[in-house]
Amino acid sequence: MSEPTTERTEAAEGAEQPDFLKVTDLHAGYGQARVLQGLDFSVARGEVCAILGPNGAGKTTTLRALCGMVRGRGSVTLNGTQLLGRSPEQAARLGVAHVPEGRGTFNDLTVEENLRVGAHLRSRRRAERAAVAADLERIYGYFPKLRQRSRQAAGSLSGGEQQMLAIGRALMLRPSLLLLDEPSLGLAPLVTRELFEIVRAVNEEERTTVVVVEQNAQLALDIAHRAHVLEAGRLALSGPAAQIREDGQVAEVYLGVSVSARKTG
Amino acid sequence: MTELLQQVVEGLGSGAVYASLALALVLIYRFTGIVNFAQGELAMLSTYVAWQLVASGMPFWLALPVTLAVSFAGGMLVERIVIRPVQGAPELTVVIVTVGLFIFVNALAGLIWSFTVKDFPQPFPDGGLDLAGVRVDWSTLGIIGVVAVVMGLLYLLFQHTPIGLVMRAAACNPASARLSGIRVNRVLMLGWGLAATVGAVSGVLVAPLLFLEPNMMGGVLIYAFAAATLGGFDSPVGAVVGGLFVGVAETLTGAYVDVIGADLKVGVPLVIILAVLLVRPQGLFGRAAVERA
Repeated sequence: MSEPTTERTEAAEGAEQPDFLKVTDLHAGYGQARVLQGLDFSVARGEVCAILGPNGAGKTTTLRALCGMVRGRGSVTLNGTQLLGRSPEQAARLGVAHVPEGRGTFNDLTVEENLRVGAHLRSRRRAERAAVAADLERIYGYFPKLRQRSRQAAGSLSGGEQQMLAIGRALMLRPSLLLLDEPSLGLAPLVTRELFEIVRAVNEEERTTVVVVEQNAQLALDIAHRAHVLEAGRLALSGPAAQIREDGQVAEVYLGVSVSARKTG
Repeated sequence: MTELLQQVVEGLGSGAVYASLALALVLIYRFTGIVNFAQGELAMLSTYVAWQLVASGMPFWLALPVTLAVSFAGGMLVERIVIRPVQGAPELTVVIVTVGLFIFVNALAGLIWSFTVKDFPQPFPDGGLDLAGVRVDWSTLGIIGVVAVVMGLLYLLFQHTPIGLVMRAAACNPASARLSGIRVNRVLMLGWGLAATVGAVSGVLVAPLLFLEPNMMGGVLIYAFAAATLGGFDSPVGAVVGGLFVGVAETLTGAYVDVIGADLKVGVPLVIILAVLLVRPQGLFGRAAVERA
């Protein structure tokens, strides 16, 4: 009967924006500990960017600086807007959705309530109510398990389901930048693979820009367009994900995983 | 049997008052992890506001909503001015701040209204119902009714409104709430405002039974602590059940245990607190501090 109205507005824009997220000379840390010592990188609009590196290299700190959880020096702009110096709630209002390490779901709330909290910035406007309802469906489409458990308390979900819920909640914000911190942490390999496939699908279908921090380099490189390898708070290596993956020797040195061995296996 | 039921009814009446102050304690604990020792004093201050309004000629049932509104604003103000600066400080610091607030509010009320007792008007008519020999005063019914309405409104607020959802999210996981764009500080202010309002209800209800003076809520606060401990400090339902239980336990032991009598029944809440902490520290409805990894 009616015309399909779900056409993506993003697709119409088309124009590449290589500096959609632009990090310039970023310094950040906790108290005396200076973790990031001058970081520069850019993420193009619609790109999945993987940040890799050994423990303590500053991967998580980078994400936290982007979303306002830790203070930083330097410059971080999203579509031209300065993000540094903002609180997490302000960053969220600017379209930055961060899924923290260890999930960060609201365990007392039901699954559906968790998702609604994610949309609370929008659902206040009456006109947005229908859009929020449609988004719920969209999230349940990506994560059918969440639909089955929509009335269940988030605290009773399995680890994988909680991670899905955390990502789903972040997507309810309709973010322009999605930050994922160690999404594979503590999850079974099969669950992790499923999760990354969904992130890839979200990126392809909605052109959401994604920055993902991962210990599991192989997985992250599979869905990323570009990758940056950190070492001791500095950029050690940057390039297209495929190239980083091919460059087995460099990856071995910096990532501490044998990428080349896996490739043949 | 009739005699026993009579005592139970009386106990439920005072228990409802304890329940509402306990609910105020639980609200603040849920949102901030703080045990607010000044909760009773804030309620006492609210009661003086109501008394002042009635004394200046306002009808009680108009003075009540005005008082609740003033209390709401006052609670938010206290959070902003007194509590916010010590946010994130060690627990003991915050506890001392609430104890300081207790002393300050108590002295402030004495300064403004003096320490001489005042008569607070009884808002409910005299007389009551006779249910199979058990006499239920209108005032007892009124107290239970008002507290029930307050609980119902809180339930609706938290479970069925967007702002209630946001408040529960902020209480459950402040860091993730901020990442979802929730201004957690504002939620904390709202929480203190709500708690002060609920506390004000308990003060206004209990004042006609006691005499209005700055130390009026001291005893009630101890019963409320027992109620919250029994029900579980993080459970609103527990606060209500605990409050009613403590009220009934207090009247029954006062009436039937000769050794205790009217003089020693203040010891009942302390025994309850002690017993709960020994046997089940998280209370009846509270959750022990374990989480699924």
